[in-house]
Amino acid sequence: MSSDFYTSSILPYSGIIIKICRAYTDSQEDFEDYYQEVCLQIWRSKDNFRGDSKWSTWIYRLSLNICLTLVKKKRKTHQYYNTENIIQNELTEDKTVFSDEDLSLLYEAIKQLSEVDRAVILLYLEEKPNKEIAEIIGTTPNNIGVRISRIKERLKKILNGKIN
Amino acid sequence: MEKSIESIWKNGFLDKNTIVIPKLNNLSNQKSIHIIDKFKRRFKININALIIFSFIILVISFLVKIQIMGVLIFILLNVVAIINKRLLKGLKKIDKNVSSYRYLKSFDAWMQEQIAFNMKISRYIYPYVSIALSSGFWFSSSFQKALDSLFEGYKPYITYGIPVYWVIVTLCIVILSAIFGARIYKWDLNLVYGSILKKLDELIKDMEGLRTQ
Repeated sequence: MSSDFYTSSILPYSGIIIKICRAYTDSQEDFEDYYQEVCLQIWRSKDNFRGDSKWSTWIYRLSLNICLTLVKKKRKTHQYYNTENIIQNELTEDKTVFSDEDLSLLYEAIKQLSEVDRAVILLYLEEKPNKEIAEIIGTTPNNIGVRISRIKERLKKILNGKIN
Repeated sequence: MEKSIESIWKNGFLDKNTIVIPKLNNLSNQKSIHIIDKFKRRFKININALIIFSFIILVISFLVKIQIMGVLIFILLNVVAIINKRLLKGLKKIDKNVSSYRYLKSFDAWMQEQIAFNMKISRYIYPYVSIALSSGFWFSSSFQKALDSLFEGYKPYITYGIPVYWVIVTLCIVILSAIFGARIYKWDLNLVYGSILKKLDELIKDMEGLRTQ
């Protein structure tokens, strides 16, 4: 990494990387590990960036793929634990807490979605056009439009009555 | 009125304190280990490939009856593999219990040493390969037959049992490969390890930049 690769090429997108990592982790420790891994993988893979898409699109795609891989890995590791350990682990997990209570509730609701739906809604909330979301997820813009409406409905149901 | 998820998201992240960028602990250590491990893996694969390739060449040379070339190349590839295995031992001796900057600098020093050494021996390796190919083909009966069928009634110019033109051409190639051997090695090196060496260079510069800040 050149001395300013992190500052110039990763830091401007750290906001979305953080939001993505938060959506796939349940503890501060995991979140920091995921963030670090995403930064490391972006640096490792930067030579693979061919300029076919925008740098930001490439970063989103990579961040999502890394988080999805880490989630799968974590799930596999959990299978080796005994039940007692899992219960213990669940007890130590902390909820994503932001100073804004509504935002914390929204995040908890997002975490109840499937992994792909989480990716779609995060990009939607970041005001990415359907075309770019489709490009990142690997589907068509029409599918994304339909999916977003369904996810929003689902989130409304989960949050029903919790937010005024 | 109930807030929309869009407004919750937008307003929630208006406060800059909501997004706290985590510190990147030990990132340079991880990167150093990654680069060097990647290099070690590739280096080992290349040594093994050399050995496997030497046996393939040997077998093929016997099948197509250019045994001289096969044996000479077999010997050369195995000597190169043994030399590089010894060089790899030196790489394993590098102390990992130091800072990533020192670790990378030690690796870089090892790398420069092995490049210099391989450049030196390349001045002999490529001419040796040229001689092996030339003599292999010359003494091969199937090659002679191919020459005969290609140029009907071809008679090489031979003085005192020496094929003069063949030897002159071979000598020219040998001299050229001796002159450009080191450059050919550098080109080959960049082809195989170029991306790793570039990353190593960037990382060292990055760390040096941090140290002088």
